[in-house]
Amino acid sequence: MSNPYKVTKKPLLPPAVSAVLSLIVPGLGQLLSFRIRRGLFLLFSFVSIIGLFIWRLQVIAHREIGLQAKFVKSFSREPFFIVFICAAVIALWIWIIYDAYKTAGGKNEKGLGIFVLVLIMFFSLGWQISEINLGKMIREFPEAWPPLSRILWPWEAAVTRDTSSVTAEAAILVDDTANPPAIPEYIEGEPYIKSTPTFGKMSTLDEKNNMVLGDIIHLEGSGFEPDTLTEIYWEDSIGNEFRPRQDGEYVSLVTDGDGGFTFDLVIPYRLTPPSAVGQQIHRVQARQTSEVGPVKASEPLRLTIVLMLETIFMGMMATFFGIILAIPLSFLAARNLMSGSWVTVTIYYVIRTIFNITRSIEPMIWALIAVVWVGLGPFAGIIALTIHTIAALGKLYSESIESIDPGPIEAIQATGANRLQTIMFAVVPQMIPPFVSFTIYRWDINVRMSTVIGMVGGGGIGFLLVQYIRLLDYKSAGIAVWFIAITVAILDFVSSKIREKFV
Amino acid sequence: MLEIRNLTKIYDDGTKALKNVSFKVEDGEFLVIIGLSGSGKSTLLRCINRLIEPTEGEILWNGKDIAKADGRSLREVRRQIGMIFQHFNLVKRSSVITNVLSGRLGYVSPWSSILHHFPSEDRKRAYDALEMVGITDQAAKRADELSGGQQQRVGIARALMQDPSMILADEPVASLDPVLAHSILGYLEDINKQRDITIMCSLHYLDLVQQYSSRVIGLRDGNLVYEGSNADIRKMTDDEFKEIYGKEAVRVNAGSISGGADE
Repeated sequence: MSNPYKVTKKPLLPPAVSAVLSLIVPGLGQLLSFRIRRGLFLLFSFVSIIGLFIWRLQVIAHREIGLQAKFVKSFSREPFFIVFICAAVIALWIWIIYDAYKTAGGKNEKGLGIFVLVLIMFFSLGWQISEINLGKMIREFPEAWPPLSRILWPWEAAVTRDTSSVTAEAAILVDDTANPPAIPEYIEGEPYIKSTPTFGKMSTLDEKNNMVLGDIIHLEGSGFEPDTLTEIYWEDSIGNEFRPRQDGEYVSLVTDGDGGFTFDLVIPYRLTPPSAVGQQIHRVQARQTSEVGPVKASEPLRLTIVLMLETIFMGMMATFFGIILAIPLSFLAARNLMSGSWVTVTIYYVIRTIFNITRSIEPMIWALIAVVWVGLGPFAGIIALTIHTIAALGKLYSESIESIDPGPIEAIQATGANRLQTIMFAVVPQMIPPFVSFTIYRWDINVRMSTVIGMVGGGGIGFLLVQYIRLLDYKSAGIAVWFIAITVAILDFVSSKIREKFV
Repeated sequence: MLEIRNLTKIYDDGTKALKNVSFKVEDGEFLVIIGLSGSGKSTLLRCINRLIEPTEGEILWNGKDIAKADGRSLREVRRQIGMIFQHFNLVKRSSVITNVLSGRLGYVSPWSSILHHFPSEDRKRAYDALEMVGITDQAAKRADELSGGQQQRVGIARALMQDPSMILADEPVASLDPVLAHSILGYLEDINKQRDITIMCSLHYLDLVQQYSSRVIGLRDGNLVYEGSNADIRKMTDDEFKEIYGKEAVRVNAGSISGGADE
């Protein structure tokens, strides 16, 4: 066997001419010395490196006009990259010229150094193109740590307790003094708050938007939980609640040992709606919230468990539908069964092609299509996974059909068995192990895939995870991540154990 | 009685595996086919039970032409002709007893057999067959757990289940050591003598041929080039030997041969 690229012809031109040609068109000298592969590689590499470099100059200095201005600007922004590539291009050029000279001198140049240089140049271009920035990664780590730590250890958010609140309120007449409301009636044992006086002027804003403080009311409370944080709320005349601030902080206080308190509150600022006419009665409230009752699973934990179950079953259903449709199709895609006539061979190629195209489109993309079709939810995810499963299992099944041993088939036919008996006795026993093995493997993959397919609206836990991340609720997201990791690890273990049994 | 007339097989790729081969096999014979690999032995055996479709010629089995049989009649012919193979061709993942019972598939009702349901007399017959080849204790094992010699014995038991009038054996001992080879051929000899079942067997080693055959035919490049009795093979001349195995073949001793380019 002769290698078509082996040097069998003498170089066409003398070394010096070859070197000059490679100076003008890098690689041309090598080509004319019949080192076709080497010449083409060097020419292609050189041209693409220059092309990529110019593209990066455009990107780095996109505002500048003219190559020279772009070059100068790029140099000021990324000096190391520019200097390195320029130096390497010149080095490569000289090396190619030297290589052309030696090649034309009849030497069978085998140096690999030039390939290593080309490789390094492509890698440094790749580093720049993919915007790798290790410095940023390290610098911004402190900012990333709080959310990351919540994801890594989210379990405080996994439990919760019921809360109960204790509230008392008093009515306040604002910006008026006529007929102020009475102080609330005192009931023994109930939380109680009274204000003196029960009227006053609200804080307002002057023309320069500076706060003009209103009157001070004196609040006295009793009958609350002792030594407990108590928050003050304000409700305006049309029933809107808010927490007033004093000196920039929400107003809150701690009750004394008997559950009582006294507090001086500046009546807060509130824009009264133009519709409000007549007496403006606002309310001041003191509230205590406390955790009572036993520890229980929090909402995120419960949702995660429910959706994790949904996810596992999505994977299971997709695998089930996938098997049902993949088995018949796999027979049509098995070369040994379909080699009979041109019709069957055509069917074989059509099915194989469909399998290959379908498989090369990721389930996430199928899910996007399925969501358009049947709307958001697990069914869309199942459709997407089923389509991908049919193609993947169909290919694996048909390959295992192709690799069955024809010996037993021949032997069973020789006994006088009919076609169906031959299939049941000689074909099926050979196909069970690979079928079981591939199916379990696929179930494993489908559950993994269904954990992320929710990200595009395909139902399952991925949907929840994306929502938590968008809400910046990293602890809840962490719970979902943990459950995905644990489930996938268990499944991985179980599926490999089952498959071991069947091989 | 089996009579082959002008049997020719040309494969799709144009290979002429058999060229106008004619011979007779009397009932009760132990006919051995010799010849180099690729000489057409396997093709000949497989044409007889139509695992390979012959291109031309007649295969007369008790007066009826097997070459023209189809569907049900072909299956009825096949069940009268057992077959054992060089690589045993057992269903490896099935149990020994299932492999033996599958020899009965030509007789039982198709639907119940699909559910692996066989009549009780067939099960008894299967244990008898295993007993005949001495591996009753292996019945429940998976076929691939058995040694090569044991697997070939299962192959014989499967062929016996067919209650055959003839057994085709395609190099039944080529993947076994010499001791096992004698053991397996011993079983075939017993079957031939005691049950009066015709045996057609391809073999490579001339000492085995001399010991077990009642008659011998030789194939070379698809042509029938030798026909002789057991006595003839014992006094085979070098010329006859070279006619079968080629000019470069060398007779190492009275028994085995070494083919020049091939073996």
